Amino acid sequence: MGPAGSGKSTYCQTIMQHCEATKRRVHLVNLDPAAERFEYPPTIDIRELITLEDVMDELGYGPNGGLIYCFEFLMENLDWLEEQLGDYEDDYLILDCPGQIELYTHIPIMRQVASMLQRWNFQVVGVYCLESQFVEDTSKYFAGVMSATSAMSMLEIPHINVMTKMDLISESLRENMERYFDPDPLLLAEDANRNTSGKFHELNLAIANLIEDFSMVSFLPLNIKDEDSIAYVLSHADNAIQWGEDQEPKEPNDPEEVDQD
Amino acid sequence: MSSGKASDTAPTDTVQGGPVNIIMIGMAGSGKTTLMQRINAHLHERKQSPYVVNLDPAVSKLPFQANIDIRDTVDYKQVMSEYNLGPNGGILTSLNLFTTKLDQVMQIIEKRAASTKYFLYDTPGQIEIFTWSASGAIISNTLAATYPTVVVYVVDTPRTASPATFMSNMMYACSILYKTQLPFLLAFNKTDVVSHEFAVNWMSDFEAFQQALSRQEECFMNSLMQSMSLVLDEFYSHLRVCGVSAMTGQGMDHFFEQIQDAVREYHEEFKPNLQKQIEQKRIKEQQQKEEHLKRLMDDLAVSEGKQVDL
Repeated sequence: MGPAGSGKSTYCQTIMQHCEATKRRVHLVNLDPAAERFEYPPTIDIRELITLEDVMDELGYGPNGGLIYCFEFLMENLDWLEEQLGDYEDDYLILDCPGQIELYTHIPIMRQVASMLQRWNFQVVGVYCLESQFVEDTSKYFAGVMSATSAMSMLEIPHINVMTKMDLISESLRENMERYFDPDPLLLAEDANRNTSGKFHELNLAIANLIEDFSMVSFLPLNIKDEDSIAYVLSHADNAIQWGEDQEPKEPNDPEEVDQD
Repeated sequence: MSSGKASDTAPTDTVQGGPVNIIMIGMAGSGKTTLMQRINAHLHERKQSPYVVNLDPAVSKLPFQANIDIRDTVDYKQVMSEYNLGPNGGILTSLNLFTTKLDQVMQIIEKRAASTKYFLYDTPGQIEIFTWSASGAIISNTLAATYPTVVVYVVDTPRTASPATFMSNMMYACSILYKTQLPFLLAFNKTDVVSHEFAVNWMSDFEAFQQALSRQEECFMNSLMQSMSLVLDEFYSHLRVCGVSAMTGQGMDHFFEQIQDAVREYHEEFKPNLQKQIEQKRIKEQQQKEEHLKRLMDDLAVSEGKQVDL
């Protein structure tokens, strides 16, 4: 999940490639009716059920209305999805979702999909992708955090945030970004205060503290050219799935965080 | 100099003179375009005709006549087929193409600045194409650097009535606030359907909101939500709020009062901050240039003019 262009589909392809190399069975499920082409053909594709193009052509909807219609159609035809998924109960599935945040916040569609998956005994983790190029300074980083949490909070599944396109940013910027991955709230707040007017200082501190308390709100860097980076992100996703089983609210001092010391 | 009600204000009477850019941002279906039309009509009635810019390449019919329309510069359908893109990619690329002509747009705006007070900008229906794109950032930054700019975040009030959705929406608004760093006005639209009183209540009474939140079904992220609501509580102190109905026109006077207030904030807070940032950037660029130059000199010294095999 994530905004248009953040690298969701690329993430899927990268993980697919990585898993293939490590002999791990993984299947791609495409839930984006507007998607165009894939390097790895998806095992399950919503476009077999319905495509955005058809909806727009036949019903005359614009891109938004069309997308919503596609999902409402999916909701009415969930047995199709259930059937498709039936063969892959024990496998690792990656679901490539559309970017529009409206589908996560205002319309309960994605949430319904997530809870249906859980009801069918799947362990689910949400992966929210955000482009590193937008996170030029701390206030933009905060914006990213808020935006990610906004989308994820409605889904009620464990999630991880991934900062994509790390391979595309310069060395010095990459060093700069280190502090976002192992955040120290006071430093972050100070940093933000430098860039923003005085009115924001309280808010900066509040957000920085939030980031420290909840590891799920911080970002993991992803450099698709670095195998270690990919493995790292994947391991976090795996961890989250195991944790999701207990459905307990995340406590601030959870083992995952302690390990990071 | 008090601004009073919009109807009493003479065309060029702002707090500190000059035009105001109003950028309308909101989720798909929140009613941005309809609200733009309402604002447009309201201003026309008061003989303060605004200058209207449409930045949504995919809209089929606009209820108003736009002075500048992205659809004149870019043909969305053609972009999609020419570049083999899906609808999102099409909108984003259209916006990118438009942004390459931004300096021309700015020239037009500057020419009109003497006679027009309000410049209204309607953004693409899918909010992320504006908020998380390079062109969206360029457009809002450029506007903000020239004239007082206010971001109006349009909220679909009926759809935001549950505490979790409300919180999610507010978080997204907070994210936009951080990205643009501009004075913010939350316009709760469709108040003819559902009043925004609940929102005002939740925003001013933090405990009422927490209670409403906990009354919802047991949520996996409850502790995160509770902490997040603390953050949001802080966020609200930075916001202006108004309830409007694009359909009936209620709330428009208050809307404009808030805009004036936002302009004041722009002059007091954002402009000085902006200038500070521009200065910082200039210094950084200067430093980078010097570093580059130094590196180049070092390299030259090392190679000592030897031939380099390519």
